[in-house]
Amino acid sequence: METWTPNPRAKPFIPRQQRSLYLTWKYKLTNKRTIRRFCQAGAMLFLLITVIVNIKLILDTRRVADEDAAAQEHEDPIPNMETPRKPANGRKVLDIEVYSSRSKVYVAVDGTTVLEDDMREQGRGIHVIVLNQATGHVMAKRIFDTYSPHEDDAMILFLNMVTRGRVLIFTIKDEGTFHLKDAAKNLLKSLGSQVSLNLNWRDMWTLVVKKGGQVYGEKHTKSPALSTWGDPVLLKTEVQLTASEEAECHWPDNELNRRRKLFCSKVEGYGSICGCKDPATIEFNPDPLPNNNVFNVPVAVIAGNRPNYLYRMLRSLLSAHGVNPQMITVFIDGYYEEPMDVVELFGLKGVQHTPISIKNARVSQHYKASLTATFNLHPEANFAIVIEEDLDISIDFFSFLSQTLHLLEEDDSLYCISAWNDQGYEHTAEDPALLYRVESMPGLGWVLKKSLYKDELEPKWPTPEKLWDWDMWMRMPEQRKGRECVIPDVSRSYHFGIIGLNMNGYFHEVYFKKHKFNTVPNVQLTNVDSLKQDAYEVEIQNLFKEAEVLDHTKNPCEDSFLPDSEGKTYVMFIKMETETDTSTWTELAKCLHVWDLDVRGYHRGLWRLFRKRNHVLVVAAPISPYSVKKPASVTPIHLEPLPKEEGAPVEQM
Amino acid sequence: MPRVNRTTVLTLLIITSSVFLLFQLHYYRKYVSKQGPYILSRTGHLTANDIQWVSQLKKFLGLARHFGLPLFLADTAALTLLSQDSLRQRDRLVHEPHCSFLCTGRPVTSFALHANLWKYEPGFLLAAKQKGFELLELRGQDPRLASLDNLSGEEIPLHFLFRLHGHIIQVVFLYERSGNYLWHGELRLKAHVDRSFAPFKLLDYGRHPGSYDRPELVLTVVDGIDVRIPRNISRFLSEQRQARFLECRYRDARNFLQLYPDDVSPDAVDFRRKVKSLLHLAGRTLAQLDIPFWLSSGTCLGWFRQCSVISYSRDVDIGIFIGDFRSDIVSAFRSAGLSLKHKFGKVEDSLELSFLSEDVKLDIFFFYGDGDVVWNGGTQAKSGKKFKYIFPRFSLCWAELLDLKVRVPCETLDYVTANYGASWSVPVRSWDWKSSPSNVQRNGEWPRAEWAELIQVY
Repeated sequence: METWTPNPRAKPFIPRQQRSLYLTWKYKLTNKRTIRRFCQAGAMLFLLITVIVNIKLILDTRRVADEDAAAQEHEDPIPNMETPRKPANGRKVLDIEVYSSRSKVYVAVDGTTVLEDDMREQGRGIHVIVLNQATGHVMAKRIFDTYSPHEDDAMILFLNMVTRGRVLIFTIKDEGTFHLKDAAKNLLKSLGSQVSLNLNWRDMWTLVVKKGGQVYGEKHTKSPALSTWGDPVLLKTEVQLTASEEAECHWPDNELNRRRKLFCSKVEGYGSICGCKDPATIEFNPDPLPNNNVFNVPVAVIAGNRPNYLYRMLRSLLSAHGVNPQMITVFIDGYYEEPMDVVELFGLKGVQHTPISIKNARVSQHYKASLTATFNLHPEANFAIVIEEDLDISIDFFSFLSQTLHLLEEDDSLYCISAWNDQGYEHTAEDPALLYRVESMPGLGWVLKKSLYKDELEPKWPTPEKLWDWDMWMRMPEQRKGRECVIPDVSRSYHFGIIGLNMNGYFHEVYFKKHKFNTVPNVQLTNVDSLKQDAYEVEIQNLFKEAEVLDHTKNPCEDSFLPDSEGKTYVMFIKMETETDTSTWTELAKCLHVWDLDVRGYHRGLWRLFRKRNHVLVVAAPISPYSVKKPASVTPIHLEPLPKEEGAPVEQM
Repeated sequence: MPRVNRTTVLTLLIITSSVFLLFQLHYYRKYVSKQGPYILSRTGHLTANDIQWVSQLKKFLGLARHFGLPLFLADTAALTLLSQDSLRQRDRLVHEPHCSFLCTGRPVTSFALHANLWKYEPGFLLAAKQKGFELLELRGQDPRLASLDNLSGEEIPLHFLFRLHGHIIQVVFLYERSGNYLWHGELRLKAHVDRSFAPFKLLDYGRHPGSYDRPELVLTVVDGIDVRIPRNISRFLSEQRQARFLECRYRDARNFLQLYPDDVSPDAVDFRRKVKSLLHLAGRTLAQLDIPFWLSSGTCLGWFRQCSVISYSRDVDIGIFIGDFRSDIVSAFRSAGLSLKHKFGKVEDSLELSFLSEDVKLDIFFFYGDGDVVWNGGTQAKSGKKFKYIFPRFSLCWAELLDLKVRVPCETLDYVTANYGASWSVPVRSWDWKSSPSNVQRNGEWPRAEWAELIQVY
């Protein structure tokens, strides 16, 4: 039956397989034995399918089991270390203890010490703590050394910025009234203090009050005599917490306001940023720069625990034209919360660094860690912009850097580009478009080349046990190797910090307050390529050609030393026999009220600055190669230091 | 009778197996099919699932494009299919909806993203959620902050998993590292994460951290979808197979340096600079010859113990499997500016090459397999004595040393312990290569007649 033989008498052959198969089929069906065989085959097939499905089932179940195992395998083996914070306890009352004495202050909230200061020679003045009235969290901690001048103004400013309704805690350590003026005392009175007007020398005092509300307690002891302190004061009181809704503002819900809300619920003392009505913006959207060469250059902000400075600095930085917030990283020296809160408020990246060593060495190690991390985070970058937290940044900071960055690439005799002119004071700087080369490293907003850092500086950076200033180290001839920095005549940064490692109010007043700061946007710098090594010499020669020699018989400190002209170039020669013979320059710098603590801001023995709107070239003769321009008849000016004057000794910056 | 019996038996069998089969089908649907469409065996033609899948992928990539996220296809299965028949792709292009490459039969498709192009876009994630994708974000420590300095920043995104209809799209974040390579992190689930979110074992990326050279990308059309893929697919895939990356143990290194502060004398600084340039040069030269090498002996110990170079070690040691030996190694190093200092042994036994750059020596040890150990040889030039250094077998991982991506034995601790003993963490300044290592063995002597050939000192 396997084959089918065509009928010889049939019509011509046309394949009709369908029908023939059918016939075969029919024929087969008639055969019982075939049926049985067929059934058997079917059964076998069925069994086979069962087996296959079985195997597949086993495989698939195993796979599912494996995945579960895999999920296990991917589990984080480290247990979650973060213990959940205790929920705000059901109690609605805070127990507060405040202690004030000569050598120790402390504040405890519900048994937790939130302030304790018993260090000697530290923490003098009025300590202020702000608590959230709904949660009891510490939102701000400040010390105002009102023994010293101006600190009471800072305290007034701070207290005015605190939102109404917050709980304020005051306590005095050692002495806090010597420079506490009436304005501050009146403000304290208006807050509810009974005794502020009578606070006197070496009195001890504590106060707990709600801003714009009730007084929870106040204690005061008078100092019996000038030479002794009042008895220690311990104030214990209770504060009723309010509902959280009352402590919050109702800003529209968006990304920015979520950040704002988080920030304002944690910290205090940032003024209108947390105002319920028209709060200050935290997004600035400054104009972009048309050809921004620094858009992809990382910006490292070096910060410590000065959150208010950081806040002010970041506001100005984020407002500068051409800023790229993506490239900004704030490096905080220590695990401080508030600076991190400020960084997150602005939606920036923050990195915290475990402090190593002490004092200058700690700062120096922080710089190193920050610079290393900056180039690690941005391996493709060839430069980094370094900014400290106590600087205002000019609106055209990035424009200035964008126009000058190529110099660092093209001129190997350059060490850095800095936004700061050490000698650029209100009365000595004039032209925002003018650039100089100087043989010192000004810092304070500067550009560092990666190859310089990686190949030269990083490998031999001072180790933690060396108490060196990183900037002094960078200025040493072993590091600088005769290279120069490009600076503007009018600085693109402004140093506003008055507290810091090497800084105090007096020092700031004398050396930084009157520093000129550019506020003009989009300044087109003149002739940037003339800043290259050879071109700059040509430029200087041209300056000498048009320069008039000043009358060296007059007193250079007198205003009349310069003619009453405008826009002219003059040259003067001062005596400097050797590198170390700096007395004439120092005396001149003193009477000109420019930087006189060391010799800075020169190029081959030449200082360039403005006086009475004229450009003045100061040449150190005979050490400067430009001394050849000195007419034979002119005797270089020689000034002797005056006998030691009074005046606070100041540390070197 | 026997005939009837047979029929009955068969009938009974059929009935039981049908019941069994029905039960199994039921079970199968209930427990397995739920995991996703991938269980359905991959047929040549397009299933409804495939069509749905392709349109989902299209949607997803459209979103990514809209938000300016240049994802590229990094899925090993899809790329393997692509590399196998790029011709078929052209044929298929004319046909209507098809899914020859992206429907790999696996429930996961992986894409990669250069992390520096990721600006945290809540918009993108929100839009993906609106399209029905569920999202699992996996974040971790930023390794670029890991260094001898103790820095900590916020956690960075490492892997995003998007799930729709049981299918997973994995987005791997590739971070640029300072050794000029790309890095992705390990996929670690935190305690509270849903473990059944994805079939984690099937993911191509995340079992270990990985490192890659930056791939050149091309835009192409795959199954009707515009997508970027690596230009050299086979190279990318072979990199993928051995991409495992080991981070240096900075915490331990910090502790070590606390105990034994680094030498910062000008000599030591200068030595480190020389080592760095020599290592970079060796890396370049051997990469051109396509010879894999790893850090060995003191250089490996320096990486492992202090994430740096041991300043008194005075040389750079690297290992190469003898199977990768090429006769043009010497000429390649010579033309790179190094001089051959000595050559000991032969390809069959104890081969060792030494080159000199400035005053730093580069020792290349060739490793021979022998059962479950590997060994390299040493030769004392003046006596012809042979030595043997035995290590447990190891695989190779990537690591970073002195801004260079280099290989080290993955089982670094075993390797270092074999070589330096259990007290490897204590610096030893006086080191005799013939007796100090804990894995050294005497191995006879070279026959004097062959000295001229086997002990060449320049």
